[in-house]
Amino acid sequence: MRFSQEMRVRCSDPEALVELLAEWDRGQATSDIMGYIGTRLLADRDRPGHYVILAEFAEVDGDVPAADEAERNNLRHETDRWAAKLRALVDDEPEWLHYDELYRTGVTGNLRTG
Amino acid sequence: MNDPEPDPVPADDALLAARSIISAVRHEGTLAPAQMSLLAAVLEALLDVQIDPAEIDSISVQSLARRAAGWSDEFKRRTVQLMVLGELVLKPIPPDVARTVANFAEVLEVDDQFVRIARRYAQGGFGLAWLDLQQSGFVEHWQLAGTDQLKTTVKLEHQLAAGVEDTQLAEAWSAFRDLAPGTLGRGVWDMYRGRGFGLPGTNGGASAYLAQHDFVHVLADFGTNLKGEFEVFSLLGRADPDPKGFAWIATLIGLFETGYVADAGFFTSDLAEPRLDEHQMHVRLADALYRGRVLRDRLGVDLLEVDYHEHAGRPVADVCKDLGLVPKSARARDAGSPGAFDLDGMTTKQQAYAASLDAA
Repeated sequence: MRFSQEMRVRCSDPEALVELLAEWDRGQATSDIMGYIGTRLLADRDRPGHYVILAEFAEVDGDVPAADEAERNNLRHETDRWAAKLRALVDDEPEWLHYDELYRTGVTGNLRTG
Repeated sequence: MNDPEPDPVPADDALLAARSIISAVRHEGTLAPAQMSLLAAVLEALLDVQIDPAEIDSISVQSLARRAAGWSDEFKRRTVQLMVLGELVLKPIPPDVARTVANFAEVLEVDDQFVRIARRYAQGGFGLAWLDLQQSGFVEHWQLAGTDQLKTTVKLEHQLAAGVEDTQLAEAWSAFRDLAPGTLGRGVWDMYRGRGFGLPGTNGGASAYLAQHDFVHVLADFGTNLKGEFEVFSLLGRADPDPKGFAWIATLIGLFETGYVADAGFFTSDLAEPRLDEHQMHVRLADALYRGRVLRDRLGVDLLEVDYHEHAGRPVADVCKDLGLVPKSARARDAGSPGAFDLDGMTTKQQAYAASLDAA
């Protein structure tokens, strides 16, 4: 089961938010594999300046749940440093929410293996 | 002079490598049909091991660690990359297969980023895997690569992005038109003209860096449809002395077979039809890898770093001989591998363009 961490933020500089996320991803891409698998940044059309960051986590080896992988991620120093940069960029303290994934549209079985 | 051959691999080591590759990519004890066919072709071409993968006994990581202790670092790494090749054709990649390959890599003391990339695919982290492939495969490689052979003074922001205007470069490529038929330069010019490709140095033309691979299309006699691209980049990647060359084939499989890569800048994903699900294509790919391996052992230079402009006025056969590029095997030809100028080797769009030239 996948796990998502949502961060709701208010920010006047979305480009800086994008760069902060891209910088994180560049660092993660060449690091040892762990639970984090990607992020989406969404802009609220009804409330300009409001954004949602959705970070997604998955199991690595099947023996540690995705939510625990996310917890491990929270304990890393680089995550602390990233969160400090996020706080410096946004207007208020981010709101953090946590979700287990129950359903996802798309392919989950064997599509084609040759 | 006889055709050059790659450095021989002792038969015991070759069989051990083959066993380890098959063992690493089995899922619940079996291989998928595509894995079976691909590995049989590749192991025969690269290691001269003729086996039925389904009949091979598995080997444990501990046993491999003990018996492979004398292998060179490069042989270990190339073996691990064949394991990765054997898992990349799966969709989805079962996490236990990705983990097993990682375990084999670990006991061989191979730290290869492509193992990690396959694990990210298995995990569903496709975006992160692509970033990893770009950074670990291409970008690091370019930072070390020379660029004098490109004949461009324009600094490329992105090595694979479409070309920008560079009059001197465009003139150099246009001049290939005046060379004698049968020469490398004229061959490349004919290929561009016959398919409507924009010359490097012209606005929107091919990237000067990527255009290097078009010389290889002509030299190696590969078509320019997606199956031909599989062949040319398999050869290029395996010929590269830097094992990061594996990034090419990993990327093309992601783009044109599994969909793990959506857009690589130079190519966009095209999954209209499976291309690596038939034995003939496995034979073609294996032969391209073999030819790349010969070049790796005899030339020892990344083909994208060769100055083809220096050889442009020479017959293609002479350039191949000097580089040590062996001809396409009869087996690959029998498997349907078209030449660089065969209609069968073109995409539908390229065929239509060629037909319009004939009609004009």
